[in-house]
Amino acid sequence: MSLGDGPCGKARADVTQSEIIEALLAFIERGEASEAAFERMALAVFAYQFAHNAPYRRFAIQRGRTTLTVRSWRDIPAVPISAFKTLTLSCTPPEAAERIFMTSGTTQGGVRGKSHHPTMSVWSRSMLVNFRRRFMQGREWIAMGILFPDEVAMPNSSLAYYLALAKRECGTPDSEGFIGAGGLDLARLIAVLERAQASGEPYALLGASFSFVHLLDALAAQGRRFSLPEGSRILDTGGFKGQSREMTPDAFYDALSAALGVPREACINMYGMTELSSQFYDDGNAVCPPVKSGPHWIRSRVVDPVSGRDLPEGTTGVLVHHDLAHFNCASAILTEDAGVMVEGGFRLLGRVDGADSKGCSVAVEEFLRAARG
Amino acid sequence: MIETAGHLPGLPAGEVAWRTLDFSAWGERVQVRVPELTAAQAGALAGHVRAHARSYLRTLPVCQIVATLDAAIARLLDRDDPWRRRAEAVLPIVTGYDRESVRLGLSGYLRSFRAPQLQRFLAEDFANPAVLDGFQPAMKGGFTRAQGPQLLLHIWAGNVPGLSLWSLISGLLVKAGTVGKVASAEPLLAGWFAQILAEIDPKLGECLAVVWWKGGDAEAERAWLREADTVVAYGGNDALAAIRERVPVTARFLPHGHRIGFGLIGAEALDTRRAGPLARLVAQDVARWEQQGCYSPQMLFVARGGAVSPREFAERVSQELGALSPRHPRRALSVAEAAGIAAWRSREEMRGFDEDGIVVLGEAGDGWSVVFSEAAPPLTPSALNRTLKIVAVDTPDAVPPLVAPSRAYLQTAAVAASPRELFRIAALLGEAGVTRICGFGAMAAPEAGWHNDGRFNLLDLVRLTEIEQSAERAADGFADYVD
Repeated sequence: MSLGDGPCGKARADVTQSEIIEALLAFIERGEASEAAFERMALAVFAYQFAHNAPYRRFAIQRGRTTLTVRSWRDIPAVPISAFKTLTLSCTPPEAAERIFMTSGTTQGGVRGKSHHPTMSVWSRSMLVNFRRRFMQGREWIAMGILFPDEVAMPNSSLAYYLALAKRECGTPDSEGFIGAGGLDLARLIAVLERAQASGEPYALLGASFSFVHLLDALAAQGRRFSLPEGSRILDTGGFKGQSREMTPDAFYDALSAALGVPREACINMYGMTELSSQFYDDGNAVCPPVKSGPHWIRSRVVDPVSGRDLPEGTTGVLVHHDLAHFNCASAILTEDAGVMVEGGFRLLGRVDGADSKGCSVAVEEFLRAARG
Repeated sequence: MIETAGHLPGLPAGEVAWRTLDFSAWGERVQVRVPELTAAQAGALAGHVRAHARSYLRTLPVCQIVATLDAAIARLLDRDDPWRRRAEAVLPIVTGYDRESVRLGLSGYLRSFRAPQLQRFLAEDFANPAVLDGFQPAMKGGFTRAQGPQLLLHIWAGNVPGLSLWSLISGLLVKAGTVGKVASAEPLLAGWFAQILAEIDPKLGECLAVVWWKGGDAEAERAWLREADTVVAYGGNDALAAIRERVPVTARFLPHGHRIGFGLIGAEALDTRRAGPLARLVAQDVARWEQQGCYSPQMLFVARGGAVSPREFAERVSQELGALSPRHPRRALSVAEAAGIAAWRSREEMRGFDEDGIVVLGEAGDGWSVVFSEAAPPLTPSALNRTLKIVAVDTPDAVPPLVAPSRAYLQTAAVAASPRELFRIAALLGEAGVTRICGFGAMAAPEAGWHNDGRFNLLDLVRLTEIEQSAERAADGFADYVD
């Protein structure tokens, strides 16, 4: 069936999970989507979530939005990502989930946001189609080194799942991970980088941004530098999160480029979230901050967080993402990331949580920090 | 518009490096040049201030200092004075607060520094203020004299206009050579005040300096910290901890951390006649300086049992905030502040899904936000910028246990209750850690001579020199008139 083609107002509440999955998989395969096509699909997914996700329905009604009043994908109420911490936002019984992805819990005193996935088929398809286009860029395979713990070590990490999928589907058989229980296995990684350098075959390093900082520090301590073959590339994601020292983007990509011989334009940053089923990429970090964009089944807005209204292009606000692939939870989310819409996508400008007081009254963040001790 | 911040007696402006800070609000822009001194310049300036304070400020009787301060304050209160006009024109752009709020806030605030108030200020801390001028007989026998610091360093923070004047004036009253570091968020008023003092009494102008460095710049800070014998610092706990680490162990360190204020309304204040005006006063306290002051309310406890229910009262406060909004629009928020409000509001909304009795009042796009809760949680900060949580309690006695866990952050509480209740509940709140209890409408205007954070503004700054009776008796033996 094709949900997106039905007339508006059709009894969408009857749509079953398998129908919505089938429609989404077809939507992902179509290669592109006009505004109208995206809108039809978005309204169908909203109707499905409104019908089956009780906390989301209550949230939408509180905001005065129902399937009757929502006419455009921009009207679909965006759930603040903090809601994933307090509410179970799932259209299906949470215990039936194939996977539950959780946030790292670093921001709110250990409370972790959860996303339930009754099936990984849509998530995986979304990831792969987009990953091939944006990172593989026409290559079928590439030798990969993964700088992140594996799925066994972190079963609730969407990034561990993402990297395992990338390695399984797009990595050569000798691809491997280098973060184990003991942290970064530097000796093994250096041996592999030496081999890659000598082979002339492109090599890809993928992992958490902070793992790359650990790698940079370790290589610097040993005075080691590599010049990986042309076509080699790097994918980092997630920022430093207090797990490594902080670096400015320019210093970070300069250092990566110098240590590994991968030009900054081949250093790609992936922007993903536990509360999404799709990812955004840039086309390299020759200039920071680069323009980020996603595939045709995700659209972004920049809003004034207080009113929720769209801000004009070029004005800094908070990012809202509508990810149709996140069909079981809530497709529209209000992030805690500042951004600005530009031609071809948006620029990501860092996190916006935790504004300190401008005066001498205590603000929430400081209060919570103290309460946590 | 270009303004220059600071007051640097003895340093030729041409030899100083200047950095420009940009501010814009209400459709206008202003550039503020702030001085970036080298360590050598800081040392020279400190020496200049210390030397002039010793040779001049310390010789002035305290009543003359009061007179000079009074004259300077009078100029800032005079709406026709060029300094006052400048403050009214520039501060709204720098701080983002609307013009009316700046005008009213400044006048209300400056009034507490007129001569009579300054005398009260002195009398609060010194039974005999002449102890600042010379040795005075002590109750226990002997004589006592109070001496201010040779070099008192103030590290100010935040954008509430004039907050710096409290400690600046305190230091001058005890004749301290004074150096104040202005905050990047409001770098002007302290420097202007110093220049007005210099216009009135040029020699006094040599005894104080107003400087700037980027908050957290350890190197610049260290250059000043090694010069000062007393340091008064404002800021969040992290900033204060970093400063304390750098203050020499021989210097006195007086920190003023961020605070959380709250209000308490007894059932007797909630009859149909009184509730309306009271809600208006609550709204004024919330709107004043957008809750950025340490004395600003972030939560309101309302007792059940009055003619007006806590829920109805919350709605009235929300309406009053709405009524204030056209005349005193909320200052433009940064993305982070706006996101903070949205997060606070939606967190309460979500909570409302799980619990009955939580109501988020008003529209998301309003310039204020009130949340009402039938269940009373412990005191927690709101998102500031006109966001207030109003909670119902069965009796005022329920409140002290709810605020006591925040003891380290308590300061001001506004109380509306009958006289007997006021004193009863004040005792409980004081025990919980509250240091200032005021009426609604006065939260942002502490009275002259108040004890900031429950401490002695002046007494904490001084050092006493005592002549004991033994010395006095012995001296008699060495007199030329001795038999």
